[in-house]
Amino acid sequence: MRVAYFSPMPPESSGIADYSALLLPALRRHVDVTVAKRGAKRPPRGVDLAVYHIGNDPAAHGWILDALRRTPGLVVLHDFVLHHLVAGVTIARRDGHGYLDAMEREHGVVGRLLAHGVLDKRIPPLWESRPEDFPLTGEVLSLAAGLVVHSHYVEEHVRAAGYGGPVAVVPHPAWPDPHPEPAGVAGVPLIGAFGNVNQSKRVPQLLEAFARLRRSHPGARLLLVGATSPGFDVERRLQRLGLDDEGIVREGYVDEGRLWSLMAACDVHVNLRSPTMGETSGTAIRALVLGKPLVVSDVGWFSELPGDVALKVPLGAAESADLAAALGLLADRPDVRLAMGAGAEELARTTHDLDRVAELQAAAFERVAGGGAVGSAVLREVSEAAASVGVAPGSPEASEIARRLSELGFLQGMLPRSSRVRSKPGEDAGSPDTSRYRDD
Amino acid sequence: MRIAVLRPQVPFARGGAEIVTDELVAELQARGHEADLVSVPFKWYPGARVLTQAFLWRMLDLEEADGRRIDLVVATKFPSYVVRHREKRVWLIHQFRQAYELDGTDLGQFGPSAEDRALRRQVQTLDRLALGEATRLFATSANVAGRLARSTGLEAEVLPHPPQALPYRTAPAQGFVLSASRLDLAKRIDLLLDAAALESGFDVVIVSDGPDRVRLEEVARARGLDGRVRFEGRVSAERLAELYATCTAVFYAPVDEDFGMGPYEAFLSGKPVITTTDAGGPLDVVHDGKTGLVVAPEPAEIARAAGWLSEHGAEAEAFGRAGKALADEVTWERAIARLLS
Repeated sequence: MRVAYFSPMPPESSGIADYSALLLPALRRHVDVTVAKRGAKRPPRGVDLAVYHIGNDPAAHGWILDALRRTPGLVVLHDFVLHHLVAGVTIARRDGHGYLDAMEREHGVVGRLLAHGVLDKRIPPLWESRPEDFPLTGEVLSLAAGLVVHSHYVEEHVRAAGYGGPVAVVPHPAWPDPHPEPAGVAGVPLIGAFGNVNQSKRVPQLLEAFARLRRSHPGARLLLVGATSPGFDVERRLQRLGLDDEGIVREGYVDEGRLWSLMAACDVHVNLRSPTMGETSGTAIRALVLGKPLVVSDVGWFSELPGDVALKVPLGAAESADLAAALGLLADRPDVRLAMGAGAEELARTTHDLDRVAELQAAAFERVAGGGAVGSAVLREVSEAAASVGVAPGSPEASEIARRLSELGFLQGMLPRSSRVRSKPGEDAGSPDTSRYRDD
Repeated sequence: MRIAVLRPQVPFARGGAEIVTDELVAELQARGHEADLVSVPFKWYPGARVLTQAFLWRMLDLEEADGRRIDLVVATKFPSYVVRHREKRVWLIHQFRQAYELDGTDLGQFGPSAEDRALRRQVQTLDRLALGEATRLFATSANVAGRLARSTGLEAEVLPHPPQALPYRTAPAQGFVLSASRLDLAKRIDLLLDAAALESGFDVVIVSDGPDRVRLEEVARARGLDGRVRFEGRVSAERLAELYATCTAVFYAPVDEDFGMGPYEAFLSGKPVITTTDAGGPLDVVHDGKTGLVVAPEPAEIARAAGWLSEHGAEAEAFGRAGKALADEVTWERAIARLLS
């Protein structure tokens, strides 16, 4: 089977480019993949399926959305919230009307009015202030012949959004362990947080919790690795909490080799998030590969990590206190760290095994590429047989046949496009509509 | 209890699954259960027919029959387990192997087209769903259970079934290796013929029938084995038991077989089994140097094994006795007790 593959690719700086670089060699053992050149408008002729990797970053995914609009196909949805992407392909391209229309299509008149507020700079950009309330995923879902997602969290959200097509939950693949030499950063324990330094990575809460931990564990150090987001004054926060170089080690953006090395030096990895866009964390996967215990926010994909691998901190007023307690536990209990690390390694080796993930992806591709034809063939034969013995459309017998077909998943993948995504906000699409087949 | 045993039936074909299900019904009846066989014809081609034929099972209503409740159904092989029932026990003989390990091999069914690929995946989805509905899930061998776990993530308890009832007995070896498998490509009877051509210390008797018979007879002629290889076709139970009783060893080397009654039948006749490292289910009971010989799937290896057993009668008898001890453990009494528990 031939697949056209639209994705950011290295050397582009994108987590999804790294993801594709990791996955492609394994995927090619199952399907014939042609990677689309950046900016390609259409898949090459003769392919059985176009696969689009869609994430929230317009710089990485804007051109992919453009291609999806021309030729629908399977979407690997890396984030559920796509507001930033939609803003990037509308407002940033001087297409304010496009943004207004997108907001109205998915959030009605209120959405349109809010969009006007954004365009007129009367309210802060919604993709920064409230993206989770206005995910703007509808257009992508309406174009998707099938979805691959990385978490049940996103699966539930796309179903709640009324998506009726096939959805495969396929874990993020794990990198092979590069067995890095740990960087020379010490701490008892050394706690690492990797990724952009900003509010949504809960860095304020982390710093507060770490300051508490330092009071009882003066040898503890926090390694912050990643670029600081504009407007996030980390220095002032450190000062206010009385944290200095004794407790905090900082590095900006680092290359892959240095990243692994720093990660290997840590005793505990902290990976916090809120709001979540439904994303999976590549750094959390790397931590699993290295067998490191994780402390994560109890949100989205992170909530789905097994309890023996990650301590999960709920959001809310007690977040910093809970986080400090989790860090305290791991600081005091090397045996717990060890057990969690072993669980992490096992999870990377099994659930996130690269070959397993590639097989699951290929299965999803194959189901979507030929699923419609298979569904039609089954339906045609069953319908003809039923009609030949006098089962009338709309009769109870026809309904039972439709129910049994649906029960076995024989109708999925061949639903009418209009039934896949609800057209108005608030409308509950419910179960896939099979009435068309009852009437056939 | 009122029990329906479910069996897909390929018209005009009879193999291990037919034997097992017939005997299961008889054994259930013998224990006071009201048991009956429910059979639906099965044809798996062309195209999506594999699914529409599976769908027939879904449309059956086996909750009751003639106004009386059916307490339990025992589904056996694809697609009988697609049936709906509140007490669906599955004793898995095999899945639709063309959708799994046979895909991409000479024995596969699905081509490279997008529709064929999707069809194969749909069979897999159907398996996950239908087998996931089972209230108890058994597999006839560790090989079948392993395949199931790998392909669906479902765990099955291994529950081997006894071989067909024959007047088993043991008698002195008369210098021939017996093959009692159905004559089709997957049973690799060529290996035995090629081995016989390499080693003259044993004769070969081939019983049973199948689509590969004419070709195998030609192979035997081409190898100059006239007089040393005898094709007996389908034989009576008495004749089969006699051949088992008097052979030197039984050859049984299919590719990645589900279960394989051949070794059990050999063991109950006190005979060792020659099989191959890639045979699958038989390896549950054929242990190299203990109950038989397990060798690479090469004619020279088979020849060496058959020659060795022909020359080492005492060891061959000991292997056969050890095999019998294993086979004696597999009884209908035990199997039915677990199946219904």
